[in-house]
Amino acid sequence: MDQATLGLLLYVLGLANLAAIYAVMALGLNLNWGVTGLFNAGVAGFFAVGAYTSVILTAPDSPHFLGGFDLPLPVGMVAAMLVSGLIALAIGAATIRLRSDYLAIGTIGIAEILRLVLKNEEWLTNGVRGITTIPRPFVAETALVSELSYLAMTLAILLVLYVLLEAALNSPWGRMMRAIRDSETTAAAAGKNVDARRLEAFVLGSMLMGLGGALFAHYLRYIGPEATEPVTTTFLVWVMLIAGGSGNNRGAILGAFVIWTIWSATELLTRQLPPEWAVRASYLRIFLIGLLLQVVLQRYSRGLLPERNPAERGATGPQDRTL
Amino acid sequence: MNRPTMAASRRVALAAALAGALVAAGPAAAQQQEVRLGWMGAITGPIAQLVPPILRASQLAVEQVNEQGGILGGRRLTLISADSQCNAQGGNDAGNKLVNVDQVVAIVGGLCSGETIAAANSQAIPNGVVMVSPASTSPLITGLQDRDLIFRVVPSDAYQGQVMARMVWNMGLRRVAVTHVNNDYGRGLAGSFRTAYEALGGTITAFAPHEDQRASYRTELATLARGNPEALVVIAYGGGSGLTVIRQALEGGFFNRFIGGDGMRDDVLPRELGANLNLVVTQPVPREGNPGLEIFNEAFRRVGGNPASIFVAQGYDAAFALALAIQHSGGTDRARISASLRAVTAPGGTVIRPGQWREAVAALAAGQRITYVGASGPIEFDANGDVPGNVAQFTIQGGTFVQGPILSAN
Repeated sequence: MDQATLGLLLYVLGLANLAAIYAVMALGLNLNWGVTGLFNAGVAGFFAVGAYTSVILTAPDSPHFLGGFDLPLPVGMVAAMLVSGLIALAIGAATIRLRSDYLAIGTIGIAEILRLVLKNEEWLTNGVRGITTIPRPFVAETALVSELSYLAMTLAILLVLYVLLEAALNSPWGRMMRAIRDSETTAAAAGKNVDARRLEAFVLGSMLMGLGGALFAHYLRYIGPEATEPVTTTFLVWVMLIAGGSGNNRGAILGAFVIWTIWSATELLTRQLPPEWAVRASYLRIFLIGLLLQVVLQRYSRGLLPERNPAERGATGPQDRTL
Repeated sequence: MNRPTMAASRRVALAAALAGALVAAGPAAAQQQEVRLGWMGAITGPIAQLVPPILRASQLAVEQVNEQGGILGGRRLTLISADSQCNAQGGNDAGNKLVNVDQVVAIVGGLCSGETIAAANSQAIPNGVVMVSPASTSPLITGLQDRDLIFRVVPSDAYQGQVMARMVWNMGLRRVAVTHVNNDYGRGLAGSFRTAYEALGGTITAFAPHEDQRASYRTELATLARGNPEALVVIAYGGGSGLTVIRQALEGGFFNRFIGGDGMRDDVLPRELGANLNLVVTQPVPREGNPGLEIFNEAFRRVGGNPASIFVAQGYDAAFALALAIQHSGGTDRARISASLRAVTAPGGTVIRPGQWREAVAALAAGQRITYVGASGPIEFDANGDVPGNVAQFTIQGGTFVQGPILSAN
């Protein structure tokens, strides 16, 4: 394999790695919004909590932040999910009864509080400077093996999550969640404990966002306050879910891959312009990203892979509508 | 197959085709003749207004190489820029494109410390690509496990803090309060000031971060004024929170004597607060008596650049030094750039100044050692790839800042 081909392969692997990490978070948001109708605008907060939790537990000792536990990576990831989940439980207990737009405002605010705490508690996180001594598995290998191994790990996690979430959605639990999303009053009248179920979805979704944060920090081997800014976390994950197909797990995954590809690869187009245009080209790229999002959202208003109701899924109920 | 599935798979195919088209549109077919140098920086994002002059300065270095006969025996040097957006995601992504798609020989950049660290850790170091940052001042970069690949031509802000501490001590001040803008820059400079000042025997009566762009800092100032400090050290931006902090400190009678870092060297301060404002600041400056700076300033003005813009001399030096390193290494093998970069900047060779590409090529061809003395002065990399700083004192005279003596940390 010549160098140019290898380079292109490495680029695609790097792209896929980040897209797969975003897909984990998009699955979490899908559980929140797509399935249960919770407007969680605090993705950045859970992402940050997960990233820092896993980093602190797995990084070597340092005088600059709480660390030195040197625990294996899987422990860090599980802890990232647990801590995100616990924080989501506390937040959810206070806010889950808010209706959609109020929940959005509440979660935005809480995510900013979490981010500010992580930015300012220097003994814990090294504050604004961030942490660079994060272990990454397989990093000692060649770039190709390292990228492939990390991608294999992320895709395996994604697959397990997908299978579990699909099973959950096709179970009575999934139908109950969708019922709550579509009409809380009806679900309550049918004897369902709406608040408890909403809290359940909120916590589970937030755990996946925390896991995404952990995967991200170990992949880049860097975490700092600017890596958790809402534009590249909350906003981007929302766009991925909406463009991919809210309510559809495969849509969430596809959305992550398509949107991250657009986000990254548009630069390969705009940089074809002459060098004098280098600065303008970067803004043109942002414009192009916006335009492509518009096209996707206008053309596929329910997402690239829209949600299918249980009848179409062939899970229960009447036979497929064959056309 | 039922219809929804058909439609779905068509859409998947469409999305895949779109993704494929975007990737394939990249410059996959490497042109053997051109030599590629990467450039990454936050063209969009929070420091967007600072970036175009830095990029222009790097482009100037590349233009000079091409005007004076090209690189590696007449090949064309091209600068490929990527937008790293001042965050870790952007840094990784820009690094990925430059290192893998464009197969650049080396990279100038990044600018924000977070983007530099992310690109270094996830792309440049695993792939053995040299990065030379013109603007990242975070002390974290010093300690990266970088196999001698990550360099910078701007001093770490740890050094300016030491110089500032010595200056404050020599001014006879023994008790000061410190407030800094709560970001990477403010934290780094204030932290190193504090360590150095306390090591000298000074007392920090209060140490408080503040968020930029607030309307009032009176609460913070009231706290800072406790404990009888003789002066307030403000590590912030004159055009941002720095002006408000000093204005409110004067109005409230909290402080009347101020010390600042380079971010406070902004003429808006004497203009707004009066020419007799008692403020002394430190700023890294190009080495005095360095003809390279004038040569660069002249050339930069000719292409329409403003030499007073921040980090332009460094942006030029990073690109020119890397071009020299590529020429020295004799090829585009990434693995040899690091050693060559050290070779062309080490003291003792024929001195090469900004723009002297032809002379450098001739000297290298004659088997001579060369030493690039850049627009920002001699580039004496230490073992970590850092350069020592050169920091001057500035005082307000006649409504503007006037450069005083070069300061030492000892």
